[in-house]
Amino acid sequence: MITRLALSFLFLSCTAIAGAYVLAFLPGGAPPWAAWGLALGSAGALSSMMALGATRGGKLRPIALVACVLTFLVVGGAFSLALILPANEGKDAVIVLGFPLRTAIVLYGVGIVPILFLPAMYAASFDADTLSDDDLERVRRAGQERGA
Amino acid sequence: MSGFFLLQGASAAMRHPAIIAIAVFYFIVVSTIGIWATRRTKNASDYFVAGQGIGIVTLAIAAMASTLSGFAFIGGPGLVYTVGTGAVFLVLSASITNTMGAWVLAKRMRLLGEARGLITVPDAIAARFRSPAAQGLSATSILVAVVGYMATNFLALGLVIDAMFGTGLTLGIWLAMLVTLSYTVAGGILAGVYTDLFEGMVKTVASVTVFYFVLKAGGGMAGISRAITAVDSTFLGPWGKMPALAALSLFFVFGLGSLGQPHVAHKFYMLKDPRKLKWYPLLMSVAMALTLLLYVGVGLAMRALTATGTIAPLVRADDATPAFVLGFTPSVVAGIVFAGVIAAGMSTVNSFMNIGAAALTHDLPRAFGRRVGNELRWGRIWTLALSLAAVIVAQLSGTLVAFLGIFGYGLFAATLVPSLAIGLNWQGATREGAVASIATGLGLTLVLETLAYFKVFSLPTGVTVSGLALLLSLLVFFAVSWFTRARAASQLDADIRLVMEV
Repeated sequence: MITRLALSFLFLSCTAIAGAYVLAFLPGGAPPWAAWGLALGSAGALSSMMALGATRGGKLRPIALVACVLTFLVVGGAFSLALILPANEGKDAVIVLGFPLRTAIVLYGVGIVPILFLPAMYAASFDADTLSDDDLERVRRAGQERGA
Repeated sequence: MSGFFLLQGASAAMRHPAIIAIAVFYFIVVSTIGIWATRRTKNASDYFVAGQGIGIVTLAIAAMASTLSGFAFIGGPGLVYTVGTGAVFLVLSASITNTMGAWVLAKRMRLLGEARGLITVPDAIAARFRSPAAQGLSATSILVAVVGYMATNFLALGLVIDAMFGTGLTLGIWLAMLVTLSYTVAGGILAGVYTDLFEGMVKTVASVTVFYFVLKAGGGMAGISRAITAVDSTFLGPWGKMPALAALSLFFVFGLGSLGQPHVAHKFYMLKDPRKLKWYPLLMSVAMALTLLLYVGVGLAMRALTATGTIAPLVRADDATPAFVLGFTPSVVAGIVFAGVIAAGMSTVNSFMNIGAAALTHDLPRAFGRRVGNELRWGRIWTLALSLAAVIVAQLSGTLVAFLGIFGYGLFAATLVPSLAIGLNWQGATREGAVASIATGLGLTLVLETLAYFKVFSLPTGVTVSGLALLLSLLVFFAVSWFTRARAASQLDADIRLVMEV
């Protein structure tokens, strides 16, 4: 069920990106709103791919689920804000954490914030939800049986 | 790549005794590691997967080192100097891709190594789909990209060596090849991984140190931003001087495409204890973030310094890093940075030498139902042959070499992401889908890149060949797998199914 959902979301993300690319072929180039397809499609593709990998036995455990949803919200949200907020990167730019506001949202939101939670969530869920000693033993046994 | 040409102009400053001493020290350390690894390389498993005996810190730093080629230190900062924050979209996804890679690939690849003793990425695709055709096609894609990548890096290394030691370009290229080859052909991936560890540390130290001088020269990040925004209202916009569509397209290709890079995925086989993967995303993400500080910082600082009139505008954008380190850091730091540039090129090349040799020794013969008798010996022979081929290509015209280097990342992404990353996580994927997607990625990338190179055809702004090829390859994979879904269950062996389920 979760695998199918992750695949559907991945496929949907790919079609959003395909839509943006198709719009770029229009005479006069892509309209400005075409960027939304790539902004949300890219965030969706990465999050759903992560969900697909984190799914075990058809289930996505809570920590991994939160990590995937949070990634989509943070990345998609940062790109959306950059597309929505008015451009102000000239002489009167408001500098936040060293960069103009919209740029700070993208650079810190997409480039730094995920590092603050993704590796920690992966490590926190690893023993119970990703790979236990028992899992490893089962795979080794299967390998030995196949070789025998 | 073109950025290395400027180094010839900077050669006088680069021949400072401290810079040369650090470069010589670097070569001595690399040679010592090569000799040590050669003594420990006894069989094909040692040669291609380091005998499945490396630790998690070594794995993470080696993966980072081979991911970030010389482009991260020269071409990347030059691109930032030219298009502003838009260039950062090439590396922006690094905050996510390491954890994504751990969930999607790392565990499955390592467990495949455990269950089947696999040693290459095409091996994993063949085992997943029980398909020699998929193994052969993916190995062919790897070979095509590897020669181009190696040639580009040999040329870059040759230019750096020439600039530092005054050897001339041809001798510089051959010296670069001989040094890298000497430890790779003798010590295989074992030498490669431990030199990558050393080279990765050199890169990280260089990047962090230079970033300190970036902040010092520019008056902090806010000072850099104020200097730039005063003269240019788009450079520091969220997409820089690129259209939003183009910047986001880079994010898509380099984000999702990271799952199809064989020189990284291949390293998962080498980990001694699979349970240590727990720490891989943390180690890799921190190492990448620190090493990318130079990429982001130098281009912005140089733009700010030109905006304030502190320095004249650069003649070539790729002058950014050499000009900054020679002008704004002590000679010792410049020495570490140039050693870092050499490290970046060599660590990438040795990984490609190894996976290229594995494709020729292991994957292609198996795709045709044959097995090579002595894989260790043939691995060494093919490593030598590939290196010679790459050196010859490197001495051809610069534009052809640059062309070959450009599409490597996209080719890997378009041919390997669907069958490897999705294939290992979706039991409904089929052999037919895998073969069709690899063929689509390979064909589209070669045809469109060639047409674009000869200016016969060009894509609209915001659409890249790599993005389009990756996207179509994914859609073909989904579509063909769906149409042939009745065969999916019968194409899975029991042990592979277990690896996909745990």
